[in-house]
Amino acid sequence: MKVRAAIAAAVLAVTLTIPANAFAYRTWFEFARQSNIASTLTMVWQYGTGYYGTQSWRAGSGVSTDACWIGHGWLPTGYYDLWGHWDNYNGAIAGRVFYLQNKPCWNGTWRTELFVHSEETAGQGQYCPTAGDDPYCWEGAYDYYSNGCIKVSRAGYPSDLRLVHDGWHGKSADYRHGYFTINNWLYVRNG
Amino acid sequence: MKRVFGTGATAAALTILTGAAAALAILGVFGAHGAVPRTGPLSVRAGLENPPGAVVRGDGLFTGRGVRRQLGAAVSGAMIGPLSPVAVESSDGRRVAYNTWQELKTVDNDQSFSQQAIADGTALGTPSLRVHDDTGKDFLLARGAYSAAWRHDGAIAFVKGSDPDFRAGRSYTGQVVVRSDIHGRDAAWTSEPAHYVVYAWAGDRVLFYRVGLGEKLELLVADGPGSIRPLADGSAIAISPDATRVAVLSQDGISVRVLDIATGSELAWLDVTTATPPVAWLAYSGSWVGDHIVAPASSGLAVLHVSSSTLELEQVLSLDHSQFPVGVQEPRFVDAAGNEIAAAADIPPATSSGGVSFLLLCDRIARTCARGEPAPAREWLRLVDTTALAEGGH
Repeated sequence: MKVRAAIAAAVLAVTLTIPANAFAYRTWFEFARQSNIASTLTMVWQYGTGYYGTQSWRAGSGVSTDACWIGHGWLPTGYYDLWGHWDNYNGAIAGRVFYLQNKPCWNGTWRTELFVHSEETAGQGQYCPTAGDDPYCWEGAYDYYSNGCIKVSRAGYPSDLRLVHDGWHGKSADYRHGYFTINNWLYVRNG
Repeated sequence: MKRVFGTGATAAALTILTGAAAALAILGVFGAHGAVPRTGPLSVRAGLENPPGAVVRGDGLFTGRGVRRQLGAAVSGAMIGPLSPVAVESSDGRRVAYNTWQELKTVDNDQSFSQQAIADGTALGTPSLRVHDDTGKDFLLARGAYSAAWRHDGAIAFVKGSDPDFRAGRSYTGQVVVRSDIHGRDAAWTSEPAHYVVYAWAGDRVLFYRVGLGEKLELLVADGPGSIRPLADGSAIAISPDATRVAVLSQDGISVRVLDIATGSELAWLDVTTATPPVAWLAYSGSWVGDHIVAPASSGLAVLHVSSSTLELEQVLSLDHSQFPVGVQEPRFVDAAGNEIAAAADIPPATSSGGVSFLLLCDRIARTCARGEPAPAREWLRLVDTTALAEGGH
């Protein structure tokens, strides 16, 4: 009995030390600034030394290409830490969102309150009450414009937002939500 | 023998003379600065000798006469960008309030906070407001404060941070306060701390922004302490000279509305993407003189004509994208007729640090601009805002 108990304890110990997803890859994103409504967001995961997988989506940021324009220009270049992730965020930005660190642009202006997100409700649905541009409704390419955040499409099934979201969880095996930090989660560069 | 100047010839000569006289009369009325403004490219040449007013750059205040005065600290719009002027002159012209930034931690733009071992809550810098007067005195107005606007009577509105320091991982929240004079006490006009930026006074009302998630801009108006109401989702292009109206811009930069500030009612509306000629977007922080408004635009500058109930796109002035890839910021009419426009033009760097700024002075009738000498973008070369001299202003 003692032997069996020892084996069971050893198995349990091994089980507890294995990550929930045995295929937890180091995963991050890269945003290549090409234009405000047609840039590229790429998820990169490292599955072995020198081996990388990638998946890319069209994405947008800002209205202008001046990164020093608060609420108007696209994101400054450089590395960003992730400060949090939510599935049902409820605010001016809603649903599945990734919260980025603040960043100074090249003249020293601080860009703040920046996210990777799309246009959906807190319940991850679509709310399109008008014929115009509704904030929680993905109507089309025009919705790639933002005040500075990175936006991906919520159209189709599965939507790019879902692929980004599920891809992140699936590749990184990181299922945390709320405020937490992941170092160097995003790299922004010119196209 | 034919008469050289016969009846027919006389009539022809009279016609020519009459035509010439009419042409001269038209030229007199619509001369170089009265001609019809036309849409088209701006021709930019170097050689702006004297900017049209006082200028700040680094720790210098340069008067219109080219005299340099030493400021107590370097100007910086680190917390405001172009949402609010970096330096503003009081209505009596005796004082200049300016924004500064004391860096507490050197931040490399290229690197993440974690790469620089910047922990959550680390103090990164402190914004402060200083005042420089015409006797050369330079003193701290408020530490942990930014975005100043002078009222016509010398009162000054600004944002005062709940915590003076801007910290990693924190939003910079504060209150909009009004100081009745520079040596007086601060009275909070907002009741809830938030990420605010003061835009300008409109008579006795303060217009200010609340910056939300995703840098969503909401324009609010304070009729007095604690009396706050939303005016528009979006940003402000300019306040009318009589301080009764404001031109506001939608979040996406495509629709302009003129609002009555007292009631919030809409007086005029324009979608610039369907106007003639169309533009992709406009941006905030422009200028309003007479019945003209100038705003930054996707192609360069846009001049709108406004009446009591209409708003029209009068002129689009385009800048060479290879020369000025991100256009201009904070354009301002510098003559009463609304023909001359001064603006700051920034050139982004190839990497994430560096960049330069120019001042441009443009004649929108001749469609020409004179460009000043370049300055490092981090020195915040900007015209001192003088709109406090009018009814509404910064």
